[in-house]
Amino acid sequence: MNSTSTAYGPGDPVLRLRVMAAGLRAGMYAEQRIDLPYDRVWAVASDLRAELPHLVPFLREFRVPPGDGDRVAALAVGMPGLRENFTVRLAPGWCLMQSRLVVGGMAAVPEGDGTRFAVLGATRPIALRPAQWLYGHLLGERRGRAFVRRVAERAQLR
Amino acid sequence: MRIQGEGESGGAEPWEVAAPLVRAAQDGDALAMDELLTLVTPYVTRLCRPIAVTDTADAVQESLVAIFKGLRGLRDPQALYGWMRTVTVREAVRMARRTAVEQPAAPEDLVRPAGLRADRDGELSADIRDALARLPVRHRAVLVLRELEGLDERTVADLLGVAPGTVKSRLHRARASFRKAWSR
Repeated sequence: MNSTSTAYGPGDPVLRLRVMAAGLRAGMYAEQRIDLPYDRVWAVASDLRAELPHLVPFLREFRVPPGDGDRVAALAVGMPGLRENFTVRLAPGWCLMQSRLVVGGMAAVPEGDGTRFAVLGATRPIALRPAQWLYGHLLGERRGRAFVRRVAERAQLR
Repeated sequence: MRIQGEGESGGAEPWEVAAPLVRAAQDGDALAMDELLTLVTPYVTRLCRPIAVTDTADAVQESLVAIFKGLRGLRDPQALYGWMRTVTVREAVRMARRTAVEQPAAPEDLVRPAGLRADRDGELSADIRDALARLPVRHRAVLVLRELEGLDERTVADLLGVAPGTVKSRLHRARASFRKAWSR
């Protein structure tokens, strides 16, 4: 998948993530402009292995092969030693990560000389399991805005 | 039902391709939902474009949000396209009415508008879209459903929430207005 194959209207992954947020009843969704070029912002967002532990609280490690791919296997290692398998779809401006319990998503499009960035977090509609407590407090708009702020800070460092 | 532009289906009917994705998406499978979004967006766009002529992007976005929000309530995945059509037409009409300048059309004759034909990709030419844009929204909706989607008057009436007699009279005026707009 690339930014043109996901396109409707002018082709906009952020609009697409809004639709996903509605469909997933996402507990966390935030969308903000970052005053840095798209390439610099997406370089952070798409570098899942190196950057995701800086962006997601309590995530110690995210083991995933580098580069774009569809249904790529990944392993998240949390602070208390919790491990969870994820499947990842990564394309320009578009990232979905899914485990049995949760879904995470990021999207970005150039906006003038800056970037419109969106993040999504959702729990999957299954019976609550003990591990889900970890994710409960990662959700919410405030958490979403904090995530976008961290993306901007990490991009500023590059 | 005439469905075009749903992407690669490998010869299978589009609703057969969509059904397993719908079931998985209903279980919260985001990757399946993403694939379903890719599959249905061309169909939703094709329905929105002639109705919400100047607000197509907004109509598509609002329709997709409504469709994916309501997806969990869809009991029969085989009914996806019919249900999407209902949701999309409602959203497209609502969007088009935000900006439309409604003008009454003078009834003329009942000749089927010869210009209103989609090409092989289900896309309307710019001329046709331009002519449609000059029609009142309620006429656009009825023309699209009757002439492009090929639905019967009762189904169109159910979709738009009006009496079959109203569809008949709107269609009469819509065809007349389209012919007038087309010949300008």
